[in-house]
Amino acid sequence: MNDDKGDKGRQTRFAALCESLRPDLVRFAFWLARDRALAEDVVQEAMLRAWKSFESLDDEAKAKQWMLTIVRREHARTWERKRLEVTNVDALVEAEAEVLASEDDAAVTEMREALFRLEDDYREPLVLQVMMGYTTGEIATQMGLTQGAVLTRLFRARQKLRAALEGGSPEGER
Amino acid sequence: MNCLEFRRHVGAEPSSTEATVGAHRDECPACARYQAEMQAMDRLLGKAMLVDLRPPRVADEGPGPAALRAPSSSRRWLAMAASLVAGVLVAATLWVSYPAPTLADEVIGHAAHEPMSWTAAQPLTPEAVADVLDRSGARLRPGAVTVTFAKRCLFEGHWVPHLVVQTEAGPVTVFLLGHRSVEAATRIEEEGYAAMVLPAPRGSIAVVGHNVSGIDAIARQVLEEVEWEA
Repeated sequence: MNDDKGDKGRQTRFAALCESLRPDLVRFAFWLARDRALAEDVVQEAMLRAWKSFESLDDEAKAKQWMLTIVRREHARTWERKRLEVTNVDALVEAEAEVLASEDDAAVTEMREALFRLEDDYREPLVLQVMMGYTTGEIATQMGLTQGAVLTRLFRARQKLRAALEGGSPEGER
Repeated sequence: MNCLEFRRHVGAEPSSTEATVGAHRDECPACARYQAEMQAMDRLLGKAMLVDLRPPRVADEGPGPAALRAPSSSRRWLAMAASLVAGVLVAATLWVSYPAPTLADEVIGHAAHEPMSWTAAQPLTPEAVADVLDRSGARLRPGAVTVTFAKRCLFEGHWVPHLVVQTEAGPVTVFLLGHRSVEAATRIEEEGYAAMVLPAPRGSIAVVGHNVSGIDAIARQVLEEVEWEA
């Protein structure tokens, strides 16, 4: 009887957690995978794994970081399992054009495309910092890098985005 | 902290609150502008990352805790509305924290920030110029002006064409501000710079010169040479 109540309570807490975190997790997975369907699969699979090991989460205040770690690992696992080929980025942009397009802001659409074209090593820390609000120390922990390496990647990521969006001639470069 | 260190630091963390960053920013206007640009780019990045991803269809879902289903659309809209309100509040707070410069002030500041652009003397090919202008829905009439610098710059959170056009009075900087409409022509002069902002078929156009006379006429002439997509 008490076990039933405990299970029910656990389920309710997990449900609430998933509901609040899901949008961010799917977006995070989308920016990792650059594929909406794959992102949904990864998050679905990650949530199942999270449910199975929910008891290991001792502090629910750290739930977001915990779930992001699971999503990140699940993405890596999916990538390895499916042996996904590195596709032509133009094709990726075209395939997700509907998601990337902002109806009322061309600058947003351009930025999304530029972000899509950014290499994984630069895109991921940037998403963690800008979208998830992680500090460089937290990103370092999440990605298993030194803080210095994270700072370098973040700096280069912005430089690359700037260069991609500025366009123009070599003479025009700073 | 020197300028290079500042830019490397701010390029990685545009909203850094470190005291050494603040100290350098207070004494270096060029770096202060760089940080403002990086922060504007981050605001745009933040908007760009918030892609609208539809939840999975109910029919596609397998068994498992109810939590694995997508949130209801009303909750999603509530969450989006809350994010929007929070974003507006943050923007409003930032906005009132700073004195608002005029558009002409802004364009002078931006042009002054890139003095090297005026030293380029080699005319660019029409293709190079078109590449910069294309995404803004504008083009220059063939052979109308000599352009020696062209790139897209982040200005008020929008990527806008930034050209340097050679005139008889000297080089002038031209910004095509498709996002910014103005009702009337505005002229401003400060510290040797003269700027003219004119209403354009799409937004506005700003022309800035340094120690250049007749900026009004030059600006109107440049405006005449731009063709705008309908």
